[in-house]
Amino acid sequence: MANLDYAYRRLVNVLGPERVARAEYDRMVYSHDFASLPKPALIQWRLYPDFVAIPQTTEEVSRLVRLSDETDLPITPRGGGTGLFGGSVPNRGGVLLDLRKMNKILALDPNDRTITVEAGATWHDVEEYALAKGFSLPVVPADAPASTIGGAINSGSVGFGSMRHGSLRDSVVDLEVVLPDGSVIRTGPGLDGSGAFANLTPLFFGAEGTLGIVTKAVLSVLPKPEESKAVAFCFDRPEAGVRFLREIVDAGLSPYHASFLDREHFAFERALRRESPEPAHTVLVSLQGPKDEVAAEEKSLDTVGSSLKAERLGADVASDLWARRHTMYGARRLSRGLVVSHNLVPVDRLEEAVEAAAGLIRRLKLNGAIHAALVDASTASLAPYVLMDDTRPSGGTALGFVKKMGDAALALGGHPMGLGMLMVFNLRRMHGRATGAMGSVKHVFDPKRKINGGKTIEVWTKFNWPLINTIPPGAMAAGLNLAAFLRRIKPTRDRFVRAYGRTGGA
Amino acid sequence: MHDVGFLRDWTFIEEATRVPALAEMVREALVRAVFVRDDRALTREIVETLSRPPAVTVKVKDDGEIRKLVQVVNGEEGASTLGLRAEDFHYFRTALGVGRDREIGLIPRPRTLLTYDWLVPEQRGLQIDFGGYADIEFAERAHRAVAQVGATWKQLYDRALEAGHYAPFVPTVPLDFALGDALWGDAPFASYQWEFHFFVQALRTISSYGHRTRIGFEAVSNHGSGYDLLHAVLPLADEFFIPVAIALRLAPKPAARKTLTYSFDDGAKLVAALDNLSRSGRAVDWIQVADAVAAPMLRPGMAAEAFTAQVMVGGSVSRVTAMEKALDGLLAGFKSKASDVPNPYDGPADAYRKTAERVARGVFVGEVRLPVRALAELQAALKAYAEQTAAKAGLIASARASGTVSAFPVFESARERPRIYELSRGVQQIAKKIPGSVFVSRLSHLWRDDLDYVRRVDLLRRLKLEIDAAHVVQPLVRL
Repeated sequence: MANLDYAYRRLVNVLGPERVARAEYDRMVYSHDFASLPKPALIQWRLYPDFVAIPQTTEEVSRLVRLSDETDLPITPRGGGTGLFGGSVPNRGGVLLDLRKMNKILALDPNDRTITVEAGATWHDVEEYALAKGFSLPVVPADAPASTIGGAINSGSVGFGSMRHGSLRDSVVDLEVVLPDGSVIRTGPGLDGSGAFANLTPLFFGAEGTLGIVTKAVLSVLPKPEESKAVAFCFDRPEAGVRFLREIVDAGLSPYHASFLDREHFAFERALRRESPEPAHTVLVSLQGPKDEVAAEEKSLDTVGSSLKAERLGADVASDLWARRHTMYGARRLSRGLVVSHNLVPVDRLEEAVEAAAGLIRRLKLNGAIHAALVDASTASLAPYVLMDDTRPSGGTALGFVKKMGDAALALGGHPMGLGMLMVFNLRRMHGRATGAMGSVKHVFDPKRKINGGKTIEVWTKFNWPLINTIPPGAMAAGLNLAAFLRRIKPTRDRFVRAYGRTGGA
Repeated sequence: MHDVGFLRDWTFIEEATRVPALAEMVREALVRAVFVRDDRALTREIVETLSRPPAVTVKVKDDGEIRKLVQVVNGEEGASTLGLRAEDFHYFRTALGVGRDREIGLIPRPRTLLTYDWLVPEQRGLQIDFGGYADIEFAERAHRAVAQVGATWKQLYDRALEAGHYAPFVPTVPLDFALGDALWGDAPFASYQWEFHFFVQALRTISSYGHRTRIGFEAVSNHGSGYDLLHAVLPLADEFFIPVAIALRLAPKPAARKTLTYSFDDGAKLVAALDNLSRSGRAVDWIQVADAVAAPMLRPGMAAEAFTAQVMVGGSVSRVTAMEKALDGLLAGFKSKASDVPNPYDGPADAYRKTAERVARGVFVGEVRLPVRALAELQAALKAYAEQTAAKAGLIASARASGTVSAFPVFESARERPRIYELSRGVQQIAKKIPGSVFVSRLSHLWRDDLDYVRRVDLLRRLKLEIDAAHVVQPLVRL
């Protein structure tokens, strides 16, 4: 490995001193993503990058990637840092590329109905731009205000709109990617489908930045809907709320979005915002489309709701819930951290999955809430979250919940979402014998493991010596199982706020 | 559009362009010579290679038989494997240079091809006939099915409706396709809103080491589970694995469905109507458009206008009524409308087969994708081209919510390879002249040689060589 001072000089040559950072505080910001990692993680990983580089063009990204051949420093690309499992956090230091300055919206083509954007633009900004021009994005990730275009593509996100318009993957028409050899490639067949036999876009969707660095994306857009309306229902029992989601599918309805939020979520919200709705098991549905279709679907929802004894909430409550749809994890302010377990489960087993999540929260003596949403007619996302305090020794044990929740999703025919650095042990459990083929993908694109190495298909440690340079997936799983066990034998339940206790939370 | 040994054909053409005796030939001329078997223009080695069709066709009834076949071609049968795993035995055998001395591969046999088969045959390998492997299982409480690759689309469609589900995708050109034909053939399945791949959740496959390998998840989508191998290889799935079953996402059976048939006497009115619909945010199940030449293939005995658009709407009774009213407004400009004209897909199996046989008499060369606003221009250009070449040309198309159209030109012509090649070139020339339009076929993919595209195919080819290291699944042919 080249001398770090030399590497710094070379980086400055490419970007100038103002866009290369090496001060400790600058680097510290990039040593974690949305998830809180317990301090012992520093024993096995170098989470602080050696340098933070802020490129502004594809050409600069390409030069930085080529430079790593010279400096031998690993590269970690990063967008908004909204991931949960360390996918955008270094494991052996190196150069972290913060792509958020590549945030231009380059073109909106009303004829082809596409928008071309740089990868560092946030979904929120792109959506606002499209709406201003009379178009809308088919699918928008849940963390749109901070999530970047490249970040959501790399994490294989699901989002609002997929129930009506198909998956986020299907709305990505083309990508510009800097490959590990520094070359730039367009991955898609183009809108015309002229290269349909050679479409690499799906490989980069969910690749967690391990195959190359996405620098631009062409996304499809739709004409702005004539009408948008949010409706909300509350239920006595969580099973009835979840059943409501299943009935939406069985009735053949195609809302823009439909999600279930349990009572605990609103108890947390109430503790933070007095004006939050009364805690209750709630289903929030967003309808979009022509006025008459929206009205007809609303009527159908009322019929389904009344059959399940649902109480329809006021229009102002529903609108407020919809307006706050991107701020799901305000409860983080109640503790000093929060862990989310993202899973996909079959719609027909969503009731069991919600029950499993509630049972786990209870058994592991956590404070948590459950959020579920329809992704498509067969898939639902289940994203329970639990509060944790990572400044306490027992805080990190909450990660055991994520492991156990993933196990439950797998047992129900679904799977946990996200591998990153922390959840790689799930790869073989999810893909079985196809895991080898996943390894082949990385080998073909990045044989030298330059870009975001040691993630997704394997877990590197910070050490570069044989035997201790990787962590066997089983060891990670065992560690998290131990964390879950420690939670289970913990004598007391977590309680982060009195207000939460007063509202009758778990 | 899907492949029939595309990576093998592409690699062969790439390598053949480097043969000194052929170096002077431009790529397109070489593709033509290989496609039409112009042996005078090719070297003796190439002619020999092109003259080795698969030696044996094996009709399989369960995936255990395929695993056995893989073991045979891997040399595990009839040799002592020393108790090694298939991967280790393969390494052992290749390292010691024992066992087979020539790549023998397996290739699935398409039930129905829309266009044409391979350029370079599977070199005396085994062809697998999945005709007897055609079971379909429906999930009990969910709208999903796992269909074996030999099941026909029509079987799935009919049985899904019987079981309370609905397969919203249809073959734009209604031939009697097996579902596997969408993986190794060129079956053009699609719905108004989504391409076929949207409905595929997983593939059950046999790997080149004979293992049962699932790609994707049968009950849920594969978001956030690592590299999306499923959708990356789907158009070429049979060159990476041997697919044996497809897990499909279905929809609930709608309470009511209605086929509405709109006739247009003018192409401009049709395209304005379809464009209008695509901007309205309304979703129908499918829209099939046929011109005056193609319409009698689909609906014989009926007077055909310049264009006929059949639209399927489904949902609750009130939704269907409201949708019909909305469509009447959005598709304004139509000359006549009927709601009693049967569509090609919903009749009994025998009627569908007869339609398929009638349609199959036409010669199809591929798909032209274009903005809906250019559909009439394409049809006029095809008509002019047909007059020049003394062939009758028609058009079957499906409109999409994205404002594009997948159009399949159909010719009344001799089904000979030189003629097919000539027609393919003709359609490509037409597509080139229409802004935003492109011709998609296996030949057009072989003609393409722009750098970005070549790099993408090369990456896929390298991925194939990694995944199919045992060279069992349609091995690439070396010169």
